[in-house]
Amino acid sequence: MFEKRDEQLIEQALKGSKKAWFTLIKRYETGIYQYGIRMTGTPHDAADLMQDIFIAVFKSLSNFRGEGSFKAWLYRIAHFRCIEFYRRKRPDTPLEDSEELSCERPTPEHSLMTDITSQSLTHAMQRLPLAQRAVIELKFFGQFTFEEIADQLGLSSNTVKSRLYSALSKLKLDLEVEHG
Amino acid sequence: MVNQSPEYLFGQWLDNALTEDERAAFEALCISDAEFAARVATATQLNVAAEQFSAPPMPAWDKNATFIAPDKPKWWQWQGLPAVSMAMSAAAMVMVLSGFSVQVEEGRVTMGFAQSAPAGPTEAEVAALVADRINDYQQANQAMFTQYVNALQQQQQDSSAQLAQYLLKSSRQERREDFAELVQFINQQRDDDQRYYTRQLTQLQREINAIDDGYTAVTE
Repeated sequence: MFEKRDEQLIEQALKGSKKAWFTLIKRYETGIYQYGIRMTGTPHDAADLMQDIFIAVFKSLSNFRGEGSFKAWLYRIAHFRCIEFYRRKRPDTPLEDSEELSCERPTPEHSLMTDITSQSLTHAMQRLPLAQRAVIELKFFGQFTFEEIADQLGLSSNTVKSRLYSALSKLKLDLEVEHG
Repeated sequence: MVNQSPEYLFGQWLDNALTEDERAAFEALCISDAEFAARVATATQLNVAAEQFSAPPMPAWDKNATFIAPDKPKWWQWQGLPAVSMAMSAAAMVMVLSGFSVQVEEGRVTMGFAQSAPAGPTEAEVAALVADRINDYQQANQAMFTQYVNALQQQQQDSSAQLAQYLLKSSRQERREDFAELVQFINQQRDDDQRYYTRQLTQLQREINAIDDGYTAVTE
């Protein structure tokens, strides 16, 4: 059975096809949910963020011009929704470079995760500033190139590389702490 | 000249875009710079972790809430309506300015722009049509003349027959009348002759009687 391309599903969804929209969600919901887990640290917040992201994507669907991949466009919106998520959570905190946006303590929900390494990684990522976390997420989990990440985050490619370089140093120490 | 910046080499390595020289520089940096090597190790570890990442199972979430069906616009709210109206107006203007005309003739609709050149058959078609008409006219005339001649002949035959019959009839009558007159004449002649002979005979008798009387007298 041939799978419909994202562009075809988007076109049908814009014409009011709920089935096409749900097919598109099914294609990306796991990735977005895991993105939410790594960016927020809790399954509950990840579920909220995922719903928030897909609502925003549907509202902006008519603006998708097909110039890049839908996945890149989706993750760009996901990044903005993630920033908004933290803004709502801590309205007085500056976002991009703040160290305060990290989750200091693992929540009980983390124990739901099945894999120790994944838990450790998620915990370690929560200690990173949001900007660095986003770069790590997009580079290693989203498998985007530096150019694509730069385009999604509205930064230069060198800035992205620099952030990743700094983030890896911090993440190494955090992973070491996690493994104790 | 190879860019020796650790950040650059690290980025190229992550994008799997190292050249030969850059790879040599990268490997040299991994050996000489422990911090750089640690970053490379972390990145490798992250790559493996990303591949093996396991998250909690997907919660049952309300997908319907993400589908905000747009209100179906009414037909008069259709965005193409102004464009269609504009196009129709333009078409109407073109039709007026170019002398567009529609003709319905004998169940055939003819549309055209050229007012000066009337729509219709070509010259050859006209010639063929005229030839057909003339041919039909000649045939009709021929038939009419033939019919007229036949009628004249018939009329003449009838007239001749009537004349002959009249002549025969009238000559018989005349002859009958002539014979009657002749018979009457002959009868009249015979009457006259009889009267004449009667008178002669009477006169002769008188003369005879007179002679007889004279003789008697003489004798006596």
